[in-house]
Amino acid sequence: MKLAGLVLLSAGWCSYLGGVLVMELVWRPVQAHIPPSQTGALCATMGRRYRWMALAALGVTAIGQLIAFGPPGFALAAGWGVLVALIVSMGLFVHPQSHARWAASAAPAQQARARQRRLGAIKVMGALLRIEVAVALLLAASLAPQLAHSPHL
Amino acid sequence: MQVFASYLHLLAVAVYLGGSIAMEFVLGPAQKFIPPAQAQVVGQKSADRFLVLVWTALALFPISGMLLFFAIGAQHTSDFFGHSYGQTLFTMMMLWVVLVVNGTLITFVFRPKLAEKAGAGTTGAAMSDRMKQKELAATWISRITRADLAIALVVVLLGASLSYGNGLL
Repeated sequence: MKLAGLVLLSAGWCSYLGGVLVMELVWRPVQAHIPPSQTGALCATMGRRYRWMALAALGVTAIGQLIAFGPPGFALAAGWGVLVALIVSMGLFVHPQSHARWAASAAPAQQARARQRRLGAIKVMGALLRIEVAVALLLAASLAPQLAHSPHL
Repeated sequence: MQVFASYLHLLAVAVYLGGSIAMEFVLGPAQKFIPPAQAQVVGQKSADRFLVLVWTALALFPISGMLLFFAIGAQHTSDFFGHSYGQTLFTMMMLWVVLVVNGTLITFVFRPKLAEKAGAGTTGAAMSDRMKQKELAATWISRITRADLAIALVVVLLGASLSYGNGLL
C-alpha cells in the first residue's frame, strides 16, 4: 500500500512539476516566434488543458502523500494550498480575462479599457506562472528527502 | 549530499515525465487550433527547446543516480546485483539505455527528416515521396514518445520500490 502511495506521489508530483517547467522554459520562449493572434488561440486551448492537468496531478500527489506518509506537515500543506490557489485563480479569473474579446461596435474608450484589462491580465498571468515555478521548485526540495529515504540499507 | 542528489534526481524525472506529458497532452493537441504552417513552426521550435531539456534530464539521471547510490552507501552490500535491490537498479539502468536510444533516434534520425525542405526543382513525385517520409517520421516520433512515457512511468514505479523497499524484482 505504501508503495502504491509512493508511486502516486512521485508520478503526480513529477507530472505537475514537469508541466510547469515546460510552460516556463519551452512554451514562453516559443511565443516570441508566432503571431499574437495564433499565440492567443494556442494559449486559450493550452490554458484550459493545463489547468485540469495540473489540478489532477496535484490531486494525485495529495492522495499519494496521504497513503504513503499520512497527513502532510504544515509547510507541505501550505505549499500545496498556494499552488492550488494559484492554478484556480489563473484558471477562473486571470486566464479568461487575458482572452476577453470586445464587440466591434463598442465605443473607442470602452475598447481601449478592455484592451488595457487584457494586457494587464497577460502581465499578471506571467507573474503568477513565475511564482508557481518558484513555489513548485521549493516544494520539490522538501519532497526530495522523503522520496530518497532508503531505510533498508 | 543525499538530499541534493535526490533533488536533482526528482528534477530530472519531473522534466522527463512531466515534460513529455505536457508536450503530448497540452501543447500537441492545441496545435490543431492554428493553421498547419504555424503549427509546424510551433512544433519545431518547442521540440527544439524540449529536446535540450530531455537530454539534460537524461544526462542528470545517471549523475544524480550515482550520487544518490554512493550517498546511501548501497555499494557496500555484498553480491549487489544478486539481490532484488541490485536487480531493480540494473533494470532501471537498462531502461535508461532504452530512453537514450529512443532519444537518439528522435533527435538524429526522425526529426531531421521532418525538418527537410524541398529544393526548387523538386518534381511532384519526389515531393509526394518526401511527404510520405515526413508522415512516417511523425508517426514514429509519436509512437516512440508514447513508449518513452510508459517506460518513464515504469522507472518511477521501480524507483519508488527502491526508496522504501528492496526493489520489485
